[in-house]
Amino acid sequence: MERFRYFLQRTVFSMKQSPLLCSATIGTVAIALMLLSFFTLIVLNVQNLTKQWSRDIQVVVYLDQVPSQTVLEQWLEEIEQYPEVEQVNYISQQQAFERFSERLGQNKDLLDGLMPEVLPAALEVSLTETARSREGTERLISLLKNNKEFHNFRYGQEWLDRYDAFIFLLQLTGTLAGGFLVFATLFIVSNTIKLTIYARRDELEIMGLIGATPMFIKAPFMAEGAFQGIIGAILALGGCHILYYFFLKKGLAALLTTAAAENIHFLPLIVQIAVIATGLLLGFIGSLLPLRKFVRI
Amino acid sequence: MIQLFNVGKVYQNGAPALHDISLKIPDGDFVYITGSSGAGKSTLLRLLYCAEKPSRGQILMGERNTTRLKSRNIALLRRDIGFVFQDFKLLNNRSVFENVALPLQVQGLSKQEISTQVYQMLQYVGLEYKLQRKPLELSGGEQQRVAIARAMVVNPRLLLADEPTGNLDHELAVEIMEMFTRINETGTTVLIATHDKEMLERFPHRTVVLHGGNIVSDDSPDSTDTCEETT
Repeated sequence: MERFRYFLQRTVFSMKQSPLLCSATIGTVAIALMLLSFFTLIVLNVQNLTKQWSRDIQVVVYLDQVPSQTVLEQWLEEIEQYPEVEQVNYISQQQAFERFSERLGQNKDLLDGLMPEVLPAALEVSLTETARSREGTERLISLLKNNKEFHNFRYGQEWLDRYDAFIFLLQLTGTLAGGFLVFATLFIVSNTIKLTIYARRDELEIMGLIGATPMFIKAPFMAEGAFQGIIGAILALGGCHILYYFFLKKGLAALLTTAAAENIHFLPLIVQIAVIATGLLLGFIGSLLPLRKFVRI
Repeated sequence: MIQLFNVGKVYQNGAPALHDISLKIPDGDFVYITGSSGAGKSTLLRLLYCAEKPSRGQILMGERNTTRLKSRNIALLRRDIGFVFQDFKLLNNRSVFENVALPLQVQGLSKQEISTQVYQMLQYVGLEYKLQRKPLELSGGEQQRVAIARAMVVNPRLLLADEPTGNLDHELAVEIMEMFTRINETGTTVLIATHDKEMLERFPHRTVVLHGGNIVSDDSPDSTDTCEETT
């Protein structure tokens, strides 16, 4: 208990006593994590956006003849069992005609004199999130082809290719830039902490001379690093929120439609907790690495 | 009893610092290690408090062979040793009281015990009225007395001092040497590395002279015989 109190006192005391070094560490963690958080925020929102787009990925099976109710129910049941299928809807000729008419808008009178039977009935098959790719779509079509009645498909091949390429690019950019940012953050933070520890190397030497064990010497420094990391992470989240509000929420709202701007969200709570945990770890590991070099008994 | 058997030290850059040193220091002894600069005085002290490992030979402190100790055990060994350095090695951002309290905090003593022992020790060195001051607000002699208080507060069996009067004027140096003599009278073994000939003459004790990393003489003031001589 005495030791715990000593460590706590040392942590608070040394932060109060070296405000400049302490601010340098907190500031470095804050800036580095703010960049990382903002990057994560953008990646998550783009992912969210693409997830919304991907809902439009569906396979439409045009039917040559209108099936009887019994046959239709059989087909629906069969298709729903495929692992790639999220939902399947039957679009009757009447519904297809109404949709087409709606889509024509002011020109819908072009359809005057035409009967709904001119358009084929169809099955609209939505894919599960994991199957929303060219590969998943083709897998589903090969399954659908098991039924001889299904041979006329439409699934926007070109759009799917572009979507796949975009997702690949997004993942590649996210991984490379994210990885780079994580390493840059660790590098900058650990070097800043190394400098602050270097400035206090006399203290480390004296502690060693008076019989302090390596852990006794390191503990207050690691606690200090972890605490500064948490404060830095909280500041980073605050800064990230300001960037989000002014650049994404307000800035993009002027460029995009209101609905699109409303779909841009701040980091979810779990990610915010992860950012704070990252700050804690950065401070802790950032202190531990140089301490291993400086604390040699 | 401190015993060195054929101890040699060569630094990583290849520079030899000590050659084949053998030495016995009984408990309660007062020994000067002297010699010109570069003779190996500080290296010998560093070997004794395990800041360096010998390149060869063995060092026994009591029954412990210090050449084989791990970090944690080195820390425990150092709790039996008090250190006084020429540059004091005090923490300038902490008060006199906190500096002296440090070794006791390391040993996990209660706040009450720490307060009592630190105050008694500061009284012993005559600085009880300056316990809230920071080291840099004190004179050189006072700083060295704080360092001695910090070394002695744990009641060590051995006191090592590396040029303890090197930064002090004559009067203060005498004062510090008198303090070492009083400490030795309480049974603590005192080992001082110094080249201050005046102090060696004024406070005569067993003197081990090093030259080029070898012991060239080991004389006690009350006898003319040479205890050990290794060249």
